[in-house]
Amino acid sequence: MNNVIECNNLTHYYGKKRVYENLNFHVSEGSILGLLGKNGTGKTTTINILNGFLQPRNGECLIFGENTQHLSPRTKARIGFLIEGHIQYSFMNIRQIEKFYSGFYPNWKPAPFWELMSKLNVTPTQKISTMSCGQRSQVALGLILAQDPDLLILDDFSMGLDPGYRRLFIDYLREYAKAENKTVFTTSHIIQDMERLIDDLLIIDFDGVLAQTSVNEFMGSFKRFDFVLKNDKTDLKKALFVENLDKVKNKVELYTYSSESIVKKYLDDNNIIVSNFAQVKMGLEDAFIGLTGKY
Amino acid sequence: MMWKSIVYKEWLKIRWFLIGYTLLGILGIGYLFLTVKHGFAFSGGKNIWNSILFMGHQFFSPLKYVPLLGGLTIAIAQYFPETVNKRIKLTFHLPLRENKALLMMHAFGAVSLLLSFLVFFGMFTGFSLLYFPVQMVTDSIISIFPWFLAGFSAYFLVALIVLEPAWKFRLFYSLVGGFFLTIYLNSPVTGAYDPANSGLFVLTAFLSIALLFSAYRFRKGEM
Repeated sequence: MNNVIECNNLTHYYGKKRVYENLNFHVSEGSILGLLGKNGTGKTTTINILNGFLQPRNGECLIFGENTQHLSPRTKARIGFLIEGHIQYSFMNIRQIEKFYSGFYPNWKPAPFWELMSKLNVTPTQKISTMSCGQRSQVALGLILAQDPDLLILDDFSMGLDPGYRRLFIDYLREYAKAENKTVFTTSHIIQDMERLIDDLLIIDFDGVLAQTSVNEFMGSFKRFDFVLKNDKTDLKKALFVENLDKVKNKVELYTYSSESIVKKYLDDNNIIVSNFAQVKMGLEDAFIGLTGKY
Repeated sequence: MMWKSIVYKEWLKIRWFLIGYTLLGILGIGYLFLTVKHGFAFSGGKNIWNSILFMGHQFFSPLKYVPLLGGLTIAIAQYFPETVNKRIKLTFHLPLRENKALLMMHAFGAVSLLLSFLVFFGMFTGFSLLYFPVQMVTDSIISIFPWFLAGFSAYFLVALIVLEPAWKFRLFYSLVGGFFLTIYLNSPVTGAYDPANSGLFVLTAFLSIALLFSAYRFRKGEM
């Protein structure tokens, strides 16, 4: 399968502060990939590099084979971009903004835009600045759908949205992307939203990529085991299979890609006595926090 | 089609400011010549001529900052909305070269300002010829020409400043730009700018593309 996005050895610093070094990832055609990471790990930095608003210190990102620092107008026409906070030209009303953008895209399809607008309680002459955040999100989404791009880049699409609008946004977007075989690259602070939307995930931390795989594969292989230690001084961090460990007194949450039998064997081999050993079912948010830690 | 869309967006941003400014300017110039007429009626033509020819009085001096105000108004109306929430990203993402998009926006703003200035200039010249001889009108035009150039320079400089991503650079440009604009507004002697006008025109023309530097810095991610 072709890679729509390909980032190679991406390195960036803000002054002396390292954001990441030698970050490599790709997004395959037709996939919906979510970029997950804590604050400050470089999600918005990556989006800015992808859109050509930031020059990385080293490395490069390619979109449809073109370096993102010099995207041609033709390639830009194939990319739909949602700015964090659903920013649009708020001095326009929805009729004006549709008219404005339609002049740039030969394949402009007004029907999806007006279909979404019909779901909102707004008039065609109502200025975007007077709309709620949820309504503005639908305007921004409608414009992207009308543009009919091959790749959608969405920067924190859930920001400021109430649960109803988040659900509307996600369901509409996923249905559209799957029906039209679009590629989506997205970030969001709300992991539950991502779980509903994405097929693949890329988890980054201050040390680089922690995981890049499909959501199903990740959720199938990443596990949490809870147990109670008899001796609360026992140190489990040196065990190679431990990805993360949350320990409060003698209660342990252990996160690992290894199986239950391997964990139990390690405990037995090292004479570590535990009770109430159980595998805990996780959602994506639990798994994300489990992998990256709470702090 | 793309240039039509750019013009449409820019027009939506500046239309009320441009119309308001032009109307106020027309009223201002009308009032200026009402004052001139009043002076002729009450002080007598001889005294007016005497004060202009021998005492250096400039009947048009109230116009001095009108073009400057226009340049500032249009530039702020046009570029400020682009910087709120870094909305300029939307323009850079449009399917055309970033510099081309900016220059189209800039050209629209400059032409709008030019049209407004042409209205003022036409009114000024027409009314002046009603009261003063051609030589005196020519000298007056030489004197007000740099004021209009100051209007364009202010427009170009504000674009450079507003689009600049770093505050310290904005401050630096503002200080330098403020001093720079005084070059256009220096001499109180009528006709004194005659030898300088062509040079100022070239300088202003060079300033017209200064905003591309701010746009370049924005795209490189300078903060």
